[in-house]
Amino acid sequence: MDNRFSQESLRQMVSQWLPPHQVPQRFRIHSDTTDFFTVEYDDIVILKDRIYLIRHNAKEARFGLNDEVKFWVKRAVDLTDGRLKIMKLVFYEKFMSRIGNIEFECFRSPKKEARILDLVSGHKNFMHGYSVPDEKGNLIRVLDFIRGKTLATHISMIDMDHETYYHERFPEILDRFVECVEAIRFLHDHHERHGDIRRDHILIDQDTGDYRWIDFDFNYRHRENIYGYDLFGLGNILVFLAGKGDVLLQDLRKARNPRLDSLSEADFNIVFHNRVVNLKKIYPYLSESLNRVLLHFSSGANRFYDHTSQLLQDLSRARITH
Amino acid sequence: MADTEKSFNKNILIAVDESDNARRAVSYVGRMLAGVPGFKVAILHVVPEPEDDYFPSAKEKEEWLSKHVQKIEALLEEYRQLLIEKGFDPKDVSVRSTLRYCPSMAECILAERDATHYSTIVVGRQGLSRSEEFLFGSISSKIVNHARDCTVWVVE
Repeated sequence: MDNRFSQESLRQMVSQWLPPHQVPQRFRIHSDTTDFFTVEYDDIVILKDRIYLIRHNAKEARFGLNDEVKFWVKRAVDLTDGRLKIMKLVFYEKFMSRIGNIEFECFRSPKKEARILDLVSGHKNFMHGYSVPDEKGNLIRVLDFIRGKTLATHISMIDMDHETYYHERFPEILDRFVECVEAIRFLHDHHERHGDIRRDHILIDQDTGDYRWIDFDFNYRHRENIYGYDLFGLGNILVFLAGKGDVLLQDLRKARNPRLDSLSEADFNIVFHNRVVNLKKIYPYLSESLNRVLLHFSSGANRFYDHTSQLLQDLSRARITH
Repeated sequence: MADTEKSFNKNILIAVDESDNARRAVSYVGRMLAGVPGFKVAILHVVPEPEDDYFPSAKEKEEWLSKHVQKIEALLEEYRQLLIEKGFDPKDVSVRSTLRYCPSMAECILAERDATHYSTIVVGRQGLSRSEEFLFGSISSKIVNHARDCTVWVVE
């Protein structure tokens, strides 16, 4: 327990940044965050010499489910400058993850995320922040709050038909996404992996328009190809962007899409067998070179990408011929 | 007339892990070569240096490693006995475990092969689906594709 700050001094600090009616009368003060469930709204967390006022727990949307509360991730106000931060407390979690029919062991690693935060400091395509141990040595990550939507939300809100989207919006989106792939290559070149590449782990910074990767604390026990899972994630996002959303077998059936009959097993995602990857069969105006890149992630693929540099090379051709 | 046959030795390196595929590979070598003179077998296990990220503390990593090494030593001895039971002379069967930083297990196994100049590597086929191979890669496929100056047996 940290006794350096009196209740009155804390109230004064908080009142600099919050309207009077929101300033609590008493604060619970934490300098040990081991039990993150006890760190609650309006509590104070002191990390070294910096003081933070805790706000809400973070939530994460899951496909088809209500938002999941992440009790170890808090919004917080840095009382030194009033800036909004995301504070990730230490949660060691090991579990079996399932992708399609494949199970593999995953875990959260604060050390990994802290290391990557140092590595990507100043890189425009990543979230920024720093790590600091609490008094028990728990490695807390304090992240700059990024205002903006996830890439998934952004795409879902584009209200136009696919062909118009493909010609008018997709080229810029692809350019931005290629920057994200280059950012992942940067990680791989430094022997790091993102670990949880998903379309809702890219935020579009509303101030700069940059696409920025978030959440690198996820890791997995790799087998032979250390970067395979990251590449799979990149492929899924690319197909999602090119298709203006997932093109699902059940949706095509429901819409009685006339091109449904032309699809074979080889045209679907190598892991998610209901997602169409060979999008040219659905959208014939898609460029051949782009579709060839997509097909690397299909069940019919003869060759897989081993490294981001191969994907980037093919994407650069796709951009030229778009 | 040009000599089209490369020279090779009768030393066999069996790369094993804790899987059934590895056991099958050892058993196969036993059945194929036991009693045939001149062959020497080394049973190899590469312990991939576990990532620090996986463990909350250095102490837990050390504990895990120590237990794992004990388990592997017992396994290697079991495989050695299996070959002897099949008919290999005990002096012709050796075991080796080594701790290495291993972003790629296949490359680590090949590096061990290159250091020993064994002419044949034997591995078990993992039996991965296409999607598993896509996501995580296949050790045996990579060994087959990258091995030089040696023969590779992939045991089904």
